[in-house]
Amino acid sequence: MTLSRLAAGSLLLVALAGGAVPAAAQRGAKPATLLNVSYDPTRELYEDFNRQFAAYWKGKTGQTVTVRQSHGGSGKQARSVIDGLQADVVTLALGYDIDVLADNGLLPADWQKQLPHNSAPYTSTVIFLVRKGNPKKIRDWPDLVRPGVSVVTPNPKTSGGARWNYLAAWGYALRRPGGDEAKARDFVGKLYRNVPVLDAGARGATTTFVERGIGDVLIAWENEALLAVKELGAGEVEVVVPSTSILAEPPVAVVAKVARKHGTEEVAKAYLDYLYTEAGQEIAARHFYRPIDPAVAAKYAAQFPRVDLFSLADVSGDWRATQQKHFADGGVFDRIYQPGR
Amino acid sequence: MRSVQYWAGGVIVAAASVAGAQRLMAQQDTTRDSVPPSLEQRVEALDQQVRILQRLRELAADSIAAAAKSGVSSTAGSKDGFSIKSADGKYVVRLRGLLQTDGRFFPSDSANPATNTFFLRRARPILEATVGKYLEFRLMPDFGQGTTALFDAYSDIKVSPGFAVRVGKFKEPVDLERLQSASDIVFAERSLASNLAPNRDVGLQLSGDIDSGRVAWQAGVFNGVPDLGNSDGDVSDAKDFSGRVFFQPFKRGSLKGLGVGVAGTAGLERGTTAAPQLAGYRTSGQQTWFRYLASTTTPAGNVFADGARQRLAPQAYFYTGSLGLHGEYIQSWQRVSRDAVPSVKLEHSAWQVTGSYFLTGEKNSWRSAAPRKPFDPKAGTFGAVELAARYSELSIDDAAFPAFANPSGTPSRARAWAVGVNWYLAKGIKALVDYEHTTFTGGAGTADRDPENFVATRVQYSF
Repeated sequence: MTLSRLAAGSLLLVALAGGAVPAAAQRGAKPATLLNVSYDPTRELYEDFNRQFAAYWKGKTGQTVTVRQSHGGSGKQARSVIDGLQADVVTLALGYDIDVLADNGLLPADWQKQLPHNSAPYTSTVIFLVRKGNPKKIRDWPDLVRPGVSVVTPNPKTSGGARWNYLAAWGYALRRPGGDEAKARDFVGKLYRNVPVLDAGARGATTTFVERGIGDVLIAWENEALLAVKELGAGEVEVVVPSTSILAEPPVAVVAKVARKHGTEEVAKAYLDYLYTEAGQEIAARHFYRPIDPAVAAKYAAQFPRVDLFSLADVSGDWRATQQKHFADGGVFDRIYQPGR
Repeated sequence: MRSVQYWAGGVIVAAASVAGAQRLMAQQDTTRDSVPPSLEQRVEALDQQVRILQRLRELAADSIAAAAKSGVSSTAGSKDGFSIKSADGKYVVRLRGLLQTDGRFFPSDSANPATNTFFLRRARPILEATVGKYLEFRLMPDFGQGTTALFDAYSDIKVSPGFAVRVGKFKEPVDLERLQSASDIVFAERSLASNLAPNRDVGLQLSGDIDSGRVAWQAGVFNGVPDLGNSDGDVSDAKDFSGRVFFQPFKRGSLKGLGVGVAGTAGLERGTTAAPQLAGYRTSGQQTWFRYLASTTTPAGNVFADGARQRLAPQAYFYTGSLGLHGEYIQSWQRVSRDAVPSVKLEHSAWQVTGSYFLTGEKNSWRSAAPRKPFDPKAGTFGAVELAARYSELSIDDAAFPAFANPSGTPSRARAWAVGVNWYLAKGIKALVDYEHTTFTGGAGTADRDPENFVATRVQYSF
């Protein structure tokens, strides 16, 4: 055997051996660190999920992975990533906030096709949280525009959750009998005139309502409202489920450019894939996010109230069009939100 | 910035909402105008108002903190001068400066009188900028000695931490002394050896670090200025290629401060009798002691560069504790012509070794030291004191005489020894006194030119 053949054979053996073992396992015990940049109310979800994923990944590959978290208003978080926050993955409140990352070359334009269910591993909706005994008798959306009702919701300019809140109200007004854009604009305008404080994010709005005791009703993510009830006890605040609301689909994505630079593409992809597993879906459900896995959804069906849900497409098209029309500078929100007039 | 706007906007909007809250309560009152609000209802409304105001104050404080964290920062200090930096650190503008006020004195100079004078040796504002992730820029004019000249004007494209492309006007990577910043050199003036190397030139340079800086390299193409040259353009089509490699093999231990390297240039230089592209050589007192034959009345007889030019410069430094040493040897070859005289390739050589030691214990290095205890009479601290010594010499090729230089008026060799004291009052503030004695071979008929005794003083401020 010539030397060149021996070398070629050796290389082939090494290549074959390499192909048989996951790359992370080949790397052995070299630890990895991921930064998950997420929106406001997902702190508890990802604290729990990160622990379980780290154990799962260690068992599978032998690699230790540490996941750091960053939380804030979804739009603000997206801006931070564009400005240089080194997110390996983003788990944000709405698709538009990841679209802008794609616009800045941080991930591919077709990011939403890279994971199942448009890259939304769980869903949620928008409901109300009211004071004990519901003293203002708030039952549905029209009660939020009554004079004398103080509404707490965050700022749609900075918060993804707030944009879902806004669109839920908009969709309600648009879809009710005789509804049209003018009436929807008038309805949402009246609602925001009842808002005394605009927090930057959903968690801040919950703090305003629950801890600071401001307002009669909090428009909230379903998971945030149910978590508040669980933590405070049913005696402090009560959940009110409106007649109709919006299907919120918070998406997730690997920030390809950053992950490539960090050498974390494989573990970042695995991290998001794990959200779709039965274990990941269980964790989401335990934190009051609606699982997309039918079996897990059935198991936890009792904790999620039945709501007539409409989609974003039903009331406003896709996220780019929605952002441009409602939340861009000079958009509908800027025109209708004129506090104090 | 946009997020700050959002924050600020949120707070402004929310602040405006207080009025909304008041109006809201007024509405409440209006709807119940038939039934006046009870005391309990009024207290409850006021309680809400107070809570809203408190929350708005919290949010305003958050906004201010967030704005402070993400806003543009400005700094002032002796290290980076005055700087303005964007929130993400990708855009930085720095304003720095160097001012050297010198005294130049020549005791016992009756044979070759030179002027004793105070003057501004260097007066340089320095503008540096970082533009985005990859681009850096530097602009440095000099208004010293009554003239205006552009010394540095270049941009660096930092392709990766270990590789950069520099374009513009800057120091050619040849002479070790020249590569040391004018604010960091141990003596007021560089040694005789620097005569054989270029100063600034316009060109393109690639540079990089290998193995965490253990090996540094530069390679570039330049117009090709004469020795000591500082030019913005070329007079011929030929160009110079320059290269330098410098090793600092030890990152730890007692040899950590050792650096060894070699530099060189190769190219063609073709001058004319009107623009010879040849330099005269100077003492540290900046007195020209060697010049090629040149005449303003019969310029046809002037010597001019006429072909290949090369330089080779092995060099080294060593810093350990308070002691610093650096030295180099430079050999240069330049083909010259004159009128009907056959062209000759002249070979000049020079070398220097410089040592310095901090009496006050500061660590010696390639850069100026910062005194451990800056000068403060009230605190009884004096700053840092450094003693320095240097020897250098430059030899002209014998073949230069008499066809290309006049042996009766031009020495063929200069040797100089120097001693000096540097006083660092604070970081960036330095005063010094140097004495240098230079002797010559030839240059005064059949005898040697009188030695030059040179005293330099300097007060330097750099930031």
